[in-house]
Amino acid sequence: MKTSIEILTPKTLTEILGILSERQEILTLIAGGTDVITGLKQESKRFKDTEVLVDVNHVPELKEIKHMPEKITIGAAATFSEIYNNSIVSNELPILKKAVSTIGSMQIRNRATIAGNFVNNAPCADTVPALLVYNATIEIESMNSKRETYLQEFLQGPYKTQLKKDEVVTKINIPVPTKSFTGDFYKLGRRRAVAISRITLAVLMELKENKINKIRIASGSVTPIGTRFPELEIFAMENDVNDNLFKTLASRMGEEIIKITGLRWSSAYKLPVVQQMFYQLLKGIERRSL
Amino acid sequence: MKVNFTLNGKKVQAETAQSIRLLDLLRDEFNLTGTKEGCGIGECGACTVLLNGYAVNSCLVLAAQIDGSEILTIEGVAGEKELHPLQKNFLKFGAVQCGFCTPGMILSAYSLLGQKQDPTEEEIKDAIAGNLCRCTGYKQIIEAVKETAKEMHAGSYTSVNDKR
Repeated sequence: MKTSIEILTPKTLTEILGILSERQEILTLIAGGTDVITGLKQESKRFKDTEVLVDVNHVPELKEIKHMPEKITIGAAATFSEIYNNSIVSNELPILKKAVSTIGSMQIRNRATIAGNFVNNAPCADTVPALLVYNATIEIESMNSKRETYLQEFLQGPYKTQLKKDEVVTKINIPVPTKSFTGDFYKLGRRRAVAISRITLAVLMELKENKINKIRIASGSVTPIGTRFPELEIFAMENDVNDNLFKTLASRMGEEIIKITGLRWSSAYKLPVVQQMFYQLLKGIERRSL
Repeated sequence: MKVNFTLNGKKVQAETAQSIRLLDLLRDEFNLTGTKEGCGIGECGACTVLLNGYAVNSCLVLAAQIDGSEILTIEGVAGEKELHPLQKNFLKFGAVQCGFCTPGMILSAYSLLGQKQDPTEEEIKDAIAGNLCRCTGYKQIIEAVKETAKEMHAGSYTSVNDKR
């Protein structure tokens, strides 16, 4: 690891934006550091130009979790432990809470942050499928601009996002889900704890008179980036809820994943597992909606 | 740069490179070698310390990030005259074999008991899931933590910070 790295610890968002407005090529933002510090240590190419780290941990407004009338706002630098222990998240965003609980270890969750989970757009970012089914948007600021975009649009490709070098993610906004929604999250790793996920699935669904009124489906790890399944969602809606529908949906989900990724060496294993897990998620949600 | 922080209850200052890891700062500048380096990438938990009461991997924290914080290492856990109840119970239940994971294991348990006086077995497992042990086995460790919680509950110790 380079010993010459300088670390700045701005105390306000304005200070961060000021720092980012110049010398961006040598700056790297750091929050929990669980990704950046290991990357620096292993001399990853991602950080070859990094000379200055900008630590965003000391800016209170980037850590706040607030319940507004229409939306829930989560500060970009809120840690997973802060999110997990937050009562707003527990009451309104159970799928996010479950996703967060599966991440790393207590030590990691005490440091790692929510925006840090998706700003490098690794396919295995566990919060992404949960945020996608909640229709999350993110706020991004630079010295001269402020914009809000859907997370799905922000995530452009594996390890590629819309984020420009002079920008910082400040907030994640989630429309308050109506109480009629029930959902669930599933993660498969190589072991039960402290595992990098191989498959993640999130589903949020509203049943009305034994029909699927609304459904949102997202996956991670098993697709090149976390993604929603719009065609499958449309297909599912207005259908009578029964075992056959769930089986058809599970089978179609597998087909859609193959369409995106092509057949891989791991498909023989992952495909039936995804289908089975998706089926069980749907069954579980149905049981809890009755 | 100068880093000011509270280390095991005492205010300290260190003159150090900003990008040095907290782990190296503790071991090399303060000779607190109870904090171990295992994997160096945040997976094994041997370097666990408490940062403002919360367990963190000190290999994933930089010196510059702890300015103004409180750090507790294994050296700060025991009282002046007696071992901490967690340490006593680790001995009593045979929860120490080679000992390499022990400091991190105890600090993770310490942090848990600081937040929850009466944790369930699942909560204990979750709290130490980030601490790998390759020889003792987890059963004895979990029992030692349970027993400590029981003692705290019975009032032998008022809190996890209770030192003698």
